[in-house]
Amino acid sequence: MIHSQNLKRFALSSLITACLAVISMFLSGAPTQAQLLLTERAAPMQVADAFKLEVRDRDDGTRELTWEIAKGYYLYRDYLAAETDAGTKVPLVSPSGIPKDDPTFGSVEVYYDLVQVDLAAAEGPVTLTYQGCQEDGICYPPVTRTLPALAASAQALASIPADKQPIETEAAKDQGSQLTLSQDGGLIEGLRQRGGVLFVLTGFFAFGLLLAFTPCMFPMYPILAGLLSGQGQKLTARRGITLSSVYVLAMASAFGLLGVAAAWSGQNLQIVLQSPVAIYVAAAVFVILALSMFGLFEIQLPAAWTRRISTVGTSSGGTLGGAAALGFSSALIMGPCVTAPLAGALLYIAGTGDVALGAAALFALGLGQGVPLLVVGALGARALPRAGGWMQGFKLAFGFIFLGMSIWLIGRVSAGPEILALWSALLIGGGIFAGAMDLLPVNAGPVRRLIKTAGVFSLLAGAIMLFGAALGGDDPMRPLDRLRASAGSGEGPEKSVNFVTVVSRQSLEAALSNGAAKPSLIYVTADWCVTCRVIEREVWADASVQAALSQMTVIAADVSDFGPEGQAMLDQLGAVGPPTMIFLNSDGKEPPNTRIVGDTTVKAVLSSTGML
Amino acid sequence: MTRITRREALTGTAAAGLVTMAGFSFWPGQSAAQDQELTVEDVLFDPANPVMGNKDGDVTIVEFFDYQCPYCKANHPILKDVVENDGNVRLVMKDWPIFGAPSILAAQLALGASSLGQYKTASDALMETEGRLSKDLIHDTLALADLDVSALEKAYEDSREKWDGLMARNSRQATLLGLQGTPAFIIGKTIYPGSMSDEALRDAIAKARA
Repeated sequence: MIHSQNLKRFALSSLITACLAVISMFLSGAPTQAQLLLTERAAPMQVADAFKLEVRDRDDGTRELTWEIAKGYYLYRDYLAAETDAGTKVPLVSPSGIPKDDPTFGSVEVYYDLVQVDLAAAEGPVTLTYQGCQEDGICYPPVTRTLPALAASAQALASIPADKQPIETEAAKDQGSQLTLSQDGGLIEGLRQRGGVLFVLTGFFAFGLLLAFTPCMFPMYPILAGLLSGQGQKLTARRGITLSSVYVLAMASAFGLLGVAAAWSGQNLQIVLQSPVAIYVAAAVFVILALSMFGLFEIQLPAAWTRRISTVGTSSGGTLGGAAALGFSSALIMGPCVTAPLAGALLYIAGTGDVALGAAALFALGLGQGVPLLVVGALGARALPRAGGWMQGFKLAFGFIFLGMSIWLIGRVSAGPEILALWSALLIGGGIFAGAMDLLPVNAGPVRRLIKTAGVFSLLAGAIMLFGAALGGDDPMRPLDRLRASAGSGEGPEKSVNFVTVVSRQSLEAALSNGAAKPSLIYVTADWCVTCRVIEREVWADASVQAALSQMTVIAADVSDFGPEGQAMLDQLGAVGPPTMIFLNSDGKEPPNTRIVGDTTVKAVLSSTGML
Repeated sequence: MTRITRREALTGTAAAGLVTMAGFSFWPGQSAAQDQELTVEDVLFDPANPVMGNKDGDVTIVEFFDYQCPYCKANHPILKDVVENDGNVRLVMKDWPIFGAPSILAAQLALGASSLGQYKTASDALMETEGRLSKDLIHDTLALADLDVSALEKAYEDSREKWDGLMARNSRQATLLGLQGTPAFIIGKTIYPGSMSDEALRDAIAKARA
């Protein structure tokens, strides 16, 4: 009995016997001899040799699959199948097979020799399954082969009506990836199912209205106010409304075009606009605006247009054009916040190719965001006193605000003591212009005294910042941080969440596999993401969030240097941009309704971690 | 009929069509990163697996099979005849469901029948079916063989861990042994892939005894 034998000796002896057998067979021309010793059929081949599969990718995203089937082998027609990673069946067009109608086996269709099958276009990688047998010999277990995603298939899908195909971009998962994203239908689809297209548009308008009161929109108010005050005496209520309407319409159009551009290029235009070059250009524009506020020159930006338009008719066309240009560019550049509705709409467009609805939804979003701006425009004219010397001061103030805008923009791409020094210069300059060093006459009124107070405050704050910059500090809100740190006093470095930072898909995969058994959080962030700074201050600093995340793998997907690698990472995560939080359970799956896009709260993060 | 050496067992690249007296050895699958050694006992004497034929026979025939595999079914009457006529062969039918859900269901119910002492009836009835199976066909087949399907279901559910564990072990062994599909026979110490004629079976048994 075998089981009573000493296994090691058994193994060794069988190995020696085997070697001897092989040698003896080579000496005696074994293959032919072996053939003779077999009965009617040869020993089964390796399955890959028995069924040789060739895949030809076509330009329209479909594929042609050809199996070369060895003599004496066959493939089952019924066991041919293909599905996406999300588990959706991909249609196959297979020719009818040869009926194998044996009383023992029942009737099945099989293929001999060669079979050609058409595979429909599909989003992402496709897993192909097939199964066959050796005639009168052996049946192989199913063979699965994953075909990598085709670039062309996304475009091919875009031409299919949106309602004919599932929305699965969010679930896009590549071969070998360790994460499965939730298949939530998405914001637009959810709204549309509830109440149709009109409901989607109304919903996005409402979202816009809510977003108008978030920090993302704050820069818009001084820009518009500056635009209005630049009008000087000409500013009437009607003109205020006209200007702000143009500004808002341009802003909304910019959002809409963002959707169209996203659909056409397959890229998120907004992220491209966050590139350092675009930001420096924007910063330069603000410097120019500021200089014109200081009266160095009149706004010359739309001058050429003004001249051309004024020959046609009204004399104010230029400023309207300026308002449009400002609204358009500020929507793209000043609104860096990726918010849930924006992300939802962009993902919807990417997933369905339904450019019209996606762009319309974004346009409605922009209009909603613009409502408070319209109110400012209308009231601004009425609230502001008519003309007068104060206007000069007002313009100066906006000049400084625009300069501040410019510094803030530059600070998004390069942080450091230089930026702090710039802030210091701005505040000191602002203080001087506000009359901080001027002597007040004894009989000065309260307004002048208030202005001087502000000026002195600005001067002092600027001085402290300059000191901080000299110490190597870089945070305008905490210019003397270095001093505190070097003194070693206080509670030391602030506790925060310890993220593993990744910048590419590969490193993301690696970071995920390191903590495979634990739930994980992937936090998409960037240096230039303003909302991310708020999240860092308010959410990551919270003790309960830190406790909840302590048992998790926390990964920061940093897209600061935005390039193809960052895009690949975003594509894999089904994310539009920072800030986005993706929560994965210990199986690497994203539970539905856990994702957080845009500004968030401690409560929302805890609720998502609680669902893992 | 293939001789399995250590290397071949590891890589699953069995040399095609060679007849030899050499035994096969069960070695730990280093490349498969398995910690546990796969022993002869594991394959031939898994305590959970029902045994047919002569339980004290001097030769063991193991068949890795699937209830929907046409050649397993076509081969089965021949195999049963050979085992019966010999009288001294242990027959171990190892479920290795490769044809999807119906195959798994059939295996579960047959193993459930084993708890009730009805394995042979259930297994034979399922092996006598024609072609592909469905849930209804499996239930009807077992009912026609005077078996209580719900009792079989319950028996399987009651020992679910045992039966699922057995099938998982079978599948792992099939992979480690480099089996290409069903049917695959192990007679004595030699692996024979594919269906076997009665003559081939008798030869293999004789060689196992030699």
